[in-house]
This record gives sequence, C-alpha cells and structure tokens, in this order.
Amino acid sequence: MARDLAIDLGTANTLVYMKGRGIVLNEPSVIALNRQTGEVLATGREAWQMIGRTPGYIVAVRPLRGGAITDFEITERMIRLLLQRVGVSRFTRPKVVICVPSAITEVERRAVTDAARRAGAADAQLIEQPMAAAIGADLPIDEPVGNMVIDIGGGTSETAVISLGGVVALEAVRVGSFDIDAAIQNYVRREHGIAIGERTAEEIKVAIGSADPIGDENEAEVRGRDLMSGLPKTVLLAPEEIRFAIDDVVSSIVASVVRCLAKAPPELAQDFLVRGMYLVGGGGLLRGLAQRIERETRVPVRMSPMPLEAVVLGAGHCIEHYEALKGMFMGARR
Amino acid sequence: MTTVIVVVVVVGLLVGLLAIRISNRRRPVDGVASFRRHIDALSPEARREVIDRVQNARDSGKGK
Repeated sequence: MARDLAIDLGTANTLVYMKGRGIVLNEPSVIALNRQTGEVLATGREAWQMIGRTPGYIVAVRPLRGGAITDFEITERMIRLLLQRVGVSRFTRPKVVICVPSAITEVERRAVTDAARRAGAADAQLIEQPMAAAIGADLPIDEPVGNMVIDIGGGTSETAVISLGGVVALEAVRVGSFDIDAAIQNYVRREHGIAIGERTAEEIKVAIGSADPIGDENEAEVRGRDLMSGLPKTVLLAPEEIRFAIDDVVSSIVASVVRCLAKAPPELAQDFLVRGMYLVGGGGLLRGLAQRIERETRVPVRMSPMPLEAVVLGAGHCIEHYEALKGMFMGARR
Repeated sequence: MTTVIVVVVVVGLLVGLLAIRISNRRRPVDGVASFRRHIDALSPEARREVIDRVQNARDSGKGK
C-alpha cells in the first residue's frame, strides 16, 4: 500500500512530504534532457549543476517559470520521475496533494492533475500555495483572526489574508527571486560590460544582495565574460549597486503586499498591527526584505521558523487529515 | 390487487417524501459538523505532529 504524498511543485525547488514519514525529497525543479532524443539525463540537484555548463546536445531546463508551466510534457515527465523516486509504481497508487500558485489557469490545473494521475497517483488534488504556507507556518488560522502570509517563491509572490480556515483576500504577482537574479544579470551586463550566468547572479544575491540597507555590508568579486573582448574578467560589486539593480522587482513585491492589505476587511486589518505578517518562501530570505516591507506598510513582519518548508508542511498536514480538509482543495465545494 | 398496488405506491411515495424532508432537515447539522471537523483539523494541536516530525528531522540532520 503506497503512502500518500504532498508535493510543493515550486519554480525553484520541489519538495515531497510522505504521509507518516515527513519530507522525503527536496531538490531543484530542473530536468536535463538530450536535445536530440528527448531522453531524460538527470533531474533535481544533478540537473541543476548542469545549468549553463552543458554541451550543445544537452539542455537543462526549469519546466516552471513565473509560477506557470512553460512545458507541459516536461513537467509531466518530471512529476513521473519524482513519484518514481519516492517509490510510486503502477502497483502502489497513492493520493497526492500538489501545491500550485493561486494564479494558475484552468488549463495548467488540469495539466498538473492529469500528469500526477498518469504518473501513478490514485487521486490528485491541488491546494493554493499561500493557504498551504499559512498552515505550515503554524499560524492560528482556525481562529476568527486575521493572519497574513507573504510567500515569495522563485517565480511568484503571493500574499494572502486567512481567517477561519479560508482565504479572505489574496494578491499574487508573477515576480519572484528568479526576477531578482535576472535583474542582477542585466545590471552587471549594462554597467560593467560583463556577462554572468544565472547561477552566478544567484550567488551574488546570496552574498551581498539586500532589499534595504543593513549593517556590516561587504563588496563581492564577480567573474564573468567581457562583452567587448570575450575574455574572462573580474569586477568588484558594491551592495548599494545590487540594491539599486533589484529595486524594481522588490518594489513590485512590496506593492502587491500593500494591495492585499487594502483588500482586507477592516475588522481583520487591526489584527495585523498586533500579530504582524509572516514571510515564507526562499525569496523571503533576501536580507532587508522584512525590514523594507515593514517600513513601507508600518505593519510588523516576522520570518516563519521554516520558510523553505512551510508550503510542503501545510500540504503534508492536508494529506494527514485528508477527509477533514478536502474542502480546502482547489475546485472543491465548500 | 390493483388497490394493494395503489396503496403500496402511495405509501412508497410518502416514505420517499418523508426521507427527502428528513435529509433536508439534517443538512445544516452536517454543515456544522463538517465545518467543526475542518476547523479542528487546522488547530495548532492537530498540526503539531507534522511540524514536530519535520523539525526533528531537520535538527537531527544539522547535528550530523
């Protein structure tokens, strides 16, 4: 008998929770394919290491971009491989709950559930990421009080107000930490005349990136390819430069939080001032982001204790209490 | 014979109507019960097991 599964199918990482066991898989959402034969060569961490370093016949891709499925066929193959890796076969057919962005289209919704069913799931249900994040962040969403969660992922940023087990207000933008990396790549190319890859841009963000000035800031040495000569070149980047480079992206995330606050009913709005808002998702780890949101909204911002796992934890809880919580799944009758 | 069939059909219809009425009357009670179950399943106590399981696995992973 297969153990039921919860999957956080993120733009950046995919996490799998197994009923009664906990998180059994946590890997980048990347798949490497042979361009000529279409054969899968690697998935997860192994495929991630290939990004930007492959010979012509190999392509390492992220099948999800901006919270949307860019390639249905590759996404289906990735889901099938994921389920195989955690022990799902044609003889063991588990129930599966998959976390997806709330802005997902009807076509994408059907593609994900169909892919999971074809990959061996007996039943596939979807849950909105901010709802799962609020459950996983251990917020008191069973009470009639306003709980606000900001989930900043690789391709989407979603802010939700939750009370009494349901979403009261929701705001989503298709902007996330990959857009921050892209902004750094563009800045370095434009201002310093060197080309860097997306992995280097991510390393710069982790090393010196910040959304608001913070104490103890250092410069970083960056190596790339000179656009004029084509030769390898090293430049020194200051934290202020990165702040300037990513400001548009950070501003649009903060603006979506403000819009969600404006949508919240006044009775719940006063709760936020006392209880604060909770940041989850890998993008929430950007230094100074909590401080920046707090400065612009005048509402306290707190970091969830397990920001990277909150979404899959919430979905995992739904799989543990499947019957009682099935009304929370997308498309369910409430 | 015909009278018996008519009586059986009428009784059957009455029982059917009664059953529909009772099930309609029960619906709000079921709604309350299912909402209660839903809210109870979201309580911090119900969620503790999942959060502790992952937290413990993370802590033991860090200790290695």
